[in-house]
Amino acid sequence: MITVKNLYHSYTNDQAYAVKGISFEISKGEVFGFLGPSGAGKSTTQGILTGLLPLQKGDVEVAGYDMHHRKRDMFNKIGVSFEQSNVYNKLSAIENLEFYKKLFDVNTVDPMKLLELVGLDKVAHKKAGTFSKGMKHRLTFVRSMLNNPELWFLDEPTTGLDPAIARQIIEIVKQKKAEGTTVFLTTHNMNIADELCDRVAFIIDGDIKLIDSPRNLKLQFGEKLVVVDHIVNDQKIQDKFSLINKEDLDKLNTIIQTGRIEMMHTKEATLEEIFIKVTGRGLE
Amino acid sequence: MRKFLAVISRDIKSGTRDWLIIYLSVAALLIALILRALIPGVSNSAMNVVFVEGTDSNLIAHVESHATVGVVSDEAALRERILRMDDVLGVLVEGEQYKIIKQGNEVMPMEETLKFVLNTYKGQSIDLPIQVAFSDIGWEISPLKLEGGSLLIIFTTVFGGMLIVLNLVEEKMSNTLSAINVSPISRTVFILGKGALGFTIPIIGSIGSVLILGFAGINYGMFIISVICIALISIIIGFSIGVVNNEPISAIASMKMVFLPVLASIFGAMFLADKWHFILYWSPFYWAYDSIHAILLNEATWQQVLVNCGIIIGLTGLVFLALRKRIAHGLR
Repeated sequence: MITVKNLYHSYTNDQAYAVKGISFEISKGEVFGFLGPSGAGKSTTQGILTGLLPLQKGDVEVAGYDMHHRKRDMFNKIGVSFEQSNVYNKLSAIENLEFYKKLFDVNTVDPMKLLELVGLDKVAHKKAGTFSKGMKHRLTFVRSMLNNPELWFLDEPTTGLDPAIARQIIEIVKQKKAEGTTVFLTTHNMNIADELCDRVAFIIDGDIKLIDSPRNLKLQFGEKLVVVDHIVNDQKIQDKFSLINKEDLDKLNTIIQTGRIEMMHTKEATLEEIFIKVTGRGLE
Repeated sequence: MRKFLAVISRDIKSGTRDWLIIYLSVAALLIALILRALIPGVSNSAMNVVFVEGTDSNLIAHVESHATVGVVSDEAALRERILRMDDVLGVLVEGEQYKIIKQGNEVMPMEETLKFVLNTYKGQSIDLPIQVAFSDIGWEISPLKLEGGSLLIIFTTVFGGMLIVLNLVEEKMSNTLSAINVSPISRTVFILGKGALGFTIPIIGSIGSVLILGFAGINYGMFIISVICIALISIIIGFSIGVVNNEPISAIASMKMVFLPVLASIFGAMFLADKWHFILYWSPFYWAYDSIHAILLNEATWQQVLVNCGIIIGLTGLVFLALRKRIAHGLR
């Protein structure tokens, strides 16, 4: 669905590249997470893939369209949800969606159903200018679903939302994933990426450090640990034991045979820990 | 076409919820109404006379050569006409006598002038307390009406440009241009849709203005073509200002800078001697004034209108070439 080869981009039209020769491919139906801290090149890459930024150097194919000669009708297949909500404040929620609906040449979803999906149906006829930040964000999000896109670009879809609404958004993305929609997810929220993505790419300083599935990354870079809460001399103690280190395994066996165990569970490395391990940088 | 209409309909919907846009849409008509109210005062320099039906037609023809003459059905209608805001004198013929009926607040010399005209019809001469001489200085209509109308019509197109500025600023403020750029509407259709109101409002406003100002007998074909040509330049300037401003006050302030060449061109054309007009040839608003002025006087020819439109379009093309990159960049 997306093929990127040796993509470079400079905002100053010189050698100061914001994106430095990155390459990747995304298959149809895949949810691909593009992870990195602010200024890593995520938005630049998404900008090029969505045609908001010009393709300067490299080859990019999106939904079957060569981005060197992109055509407007490609946007009938694509949906883009922006990080910053961008709606017409003087129009109501339903008027916003109905305006964009008229711009598509393909079958579109009933705007009221989309508003129901994110709980905005009760304020459908209120001006978007009176909405809270979260409501505007939800309106921006569902607008990107109007044309039932085959390829869906989501830029920080849950940033700034309260946990309940963020969960609602995640469930919608999961539903679209189940329906076969390809998703390009740009985020610095590793938990969401872990939950939603088939594969993730770690990008930092305009360069992709690695691409793999969250599971493979955890297996490759995460240390397998067992965390045990047990009682020693009437005192509650928590210990971590490596499942690879023989000394740790012996200690764990001793506790299992002789100790008073209250809780015991395995602990995987998080994507965030792996990101820091791979890139040497945090995500904020 | 559907997408083009969607953009226009969105702008209209949004515009009707913005007082500044509503005001700009009707500003030309409001100014025309104000001008209309002022015109009778200025028309005092012309003499208006009303007769009753059945009055000697030779007498009416004689007075008509010196004044604007109206005929009403009876004395009651004549009295009603005199009581209106403008200065009109009524003449009733009673036997061999003329009875002049006036409201009482007319400019003094008018009554004396009318007496003089009526007596000259009878071959009599009278001693007037003022010197009365008749000459034709070429004014067929009030200068305020003509010059004010020309200025207003050209400004109507600037108001159209301002509408575009405000609509684009709204897009910039809410960053909705990004959403438009990832939708399947071509940039050309979007620009045409955004520009449509910049043509429509000036056309409606200027036709409304000429009707309010009493220029109903003009050639509307010439008039509409001229207004569309003038609107082009205002729209291009409107786009160039709208796409680089993120808030309406600074955008309107920038648009006000356009007033300078507009006013300089029009007042230059009004007050400069013909031999100095060449210094205004660079301004499309000069050519616009030249066309509109002639159209309002019913003196314009198609050749003059088309040549002026060609010059305006040529100059607009140069302005567009200069601003093209700025507009394209701002729309990204």
